[in-house]
Amino acid sequence: MAPRKSPLHRLTRVAREISLNVIGCAVVAALVFPVYWAICVALQSDQTPLITPPSLIPLHLVFSNVSQAFDAETSDIMTSLIVSCAAVAVGLAVGFPAAYALKRFRLRYTAVVIGVLLVTQMVPSISLSIAFYSLFDDVHLLNSYIGLILADSTYAVPLMVLLLRAFLESVPDELIEAARLDGCGEVRCMISVVTPVAVPGIMTAAMFGFLGAWGDFLFGLTLNSGSSVQPVTLGLYKFVTVYSNSWGPIMATVVLAAIPAAVILGIGQRWVRSGLRAGALQ
Amino acid sequence: MRNTTGRASVAAAATESAGQSALAWPGADAGGGEGPRTGARRWPRARRILIPALFIAPVLVYAVVFFAYPLVFGIVMSFQQFDFAAVVKGSGPFVGFANYRAVLSNSVTLLALRNTIVFTVASVVCQVGIGLSVALLLNRKFFLSSFLRRFVLVPWLIPLLATGTIFSLLFGSSNAPINDILQHAHLVQAPVPWLIQGNTALTAIILVNIWAGLPFNIIVLYSGLQDIDPALHEAAMVDGANPLQKLRYITLPLLRPVLLIVIMLGIIATVKVFDIVWVMTGGGPNNATQLLSSWAYTQAFTNFNFGQGAAISDLLLVISFALALIYLRSLRQQGR
Repeated sequence: MAPRKSPLHRLTRVAREISLNVIGCAVVAALVFPVYWAICVALQSDQTPLITPPSLIPLHLVFSNVSQAFDAETSDIMTSLIVSCAAVAVGLAVGFPAAYALKRFRLRYTAVVIGVLLVTQMVPSISLSIAFYSLFDDVHLLNSYIGLILADSTYAVPLMVLLLRAFLESVPDELIEAARLDGCGEVRCMISVVTPVAVPGIMTAAMFGFLGAWGDFLFGLTLNSGSSVQPVTLGLYKFVTVYSNSWGPIMATVVLAAIPAAVILGIGQRWVRSGLRAGALQ
Repeated sequence: MRNTTGRASVAAAATESAGQSALAWPGADAGGGEGPRTGARRWPRARRILIPALFIAPVLVYAVVFFAYPLVFGIVMSFQQFDFAAVVKGSGPFVGFANYRAVLSNSVTLLALRNTIVFTVASVVCQVGIGLSVALLLNRKFFLSSFLRRFVLVPWLIPLLATGTIFSLLFGSSNAPINDILQHAHLVQAPVPWLIQGNTALTAIILVNIWAGLPFNIIVLYSGLQDIDPALHEAAMVDGANPLQKLRYITLPLLRPVLLIVIMLGIIATVKVFDIVWVMTGGGPNNATQLLSSWAYTQAFTNFNFGQGAAISDLLLVISFALALIYLRSLRQQGR
């Protein structure tokens, strides 16, 4: 870049710099505001804001809402954690071998497998849940952990195969071939040679699978609404429908429901972009 | 363009070499002559087909059990009188096209179809438009750019149901922030009862869905922008192109494949949105925000008319599959 010395140029550059920063801040403020507002409401007195709107600079922090929400939702949060982790485990168990095979072997039906998985990602959950409701009733999986895990795994499995396949492309073939020459079987090769190299990809896929299952509401609502085994999204929904004017506790529940996902995304932030890239730009 | 096709060809090359090595295996194994390898020599072809199949089998079985079978079952349900007794029994009396006739002659279904189309088109157009603008903004280098980029993910931290909950309070009452801001800016005289009147309720839900979808659009479009070779922009600058011309003749054409993918994935994800509408309006007031997803839910799980619920969700399924086919075709065209 050629240095520009003239004062007019410098002035326009300063003006541009300032306006870019201002616009950027405004955009991000609009994206962040609702969440910030929810946190503000959660941390202030549980008086209904129908009377007094919450202050946007919370000076007097009150934790009664949070503790109330925590008491009410602890078991739901545990359920969501168990179900989401188990759905990720199902996703990895089913998806990783398939992703390995798609990378390792040149198969005539690779395009078919990938096409099928892309299509399954597009199936509306409502279509599945209406059928699951009747099918799970026959095998007594309604209102159970296993039923919800299996239903939520429909988010995780296709996603994980596609993401892991995209990540495994970067594992050098020589590595696998060298291991095979050393007498390593395909299964051992997958577990002890490819898995260690693929850890970032596995973590990324696990993160996206977890977020999908964590955010599920429809399967919880349709398959598990008649029991205490309910995900935190369903707990929140039931709370909202019963106490629609208790803004403080509602927002505290919202914040609690978001924390695990936020922590995971915080830890895995560096994987988000590569994951979205791999997932979207197959 | 450069990048996606580049990736595709690298991927193709990788599978190519893996395939060749797999072909070379039986020969290489023959030198060993140990126990398991004699098997390889005797049935090299069988092994070549069988081993990959064993790795792929779980996911195919999964796809059949958890996708194909339920979807076929759902289609069968839509031809039966499937009430609560049928759920217990596992099947109901066959009624032909009665469910579809009932569903299609119900004006709510047509309203839900119309709402779904309006909701999807408005959401995706705005998401991609705003997402691209923000991505272009964050793609510039300025003092706060890398700091601000981290916050783009925030809407994504919370489950859609929680998003809907926050916004139902933000929109819901007369002194909530949204009406507050509008009144202070003198854009409206009196507080707008957003979620209580039909038109504004649909608008509110669309706005929420746009907000929720922005992180995905911004991040994917941003990484698409990052892949564009800066040398092209420098060359255009040397040729005297202004910023608008650079956008029109360099950025947008090179971003086209990514834009197409973002639009298609956006449409596919938006037609099946349920959580936001369900917690904010439940499809009301007076079905003004009823989408196909919420209408299918209402028929199946509120009215316990699973047959009609399945018929509505099958309509949604057909729409999704049609969109999926268009998406797959456009992917294949790009791969070329």
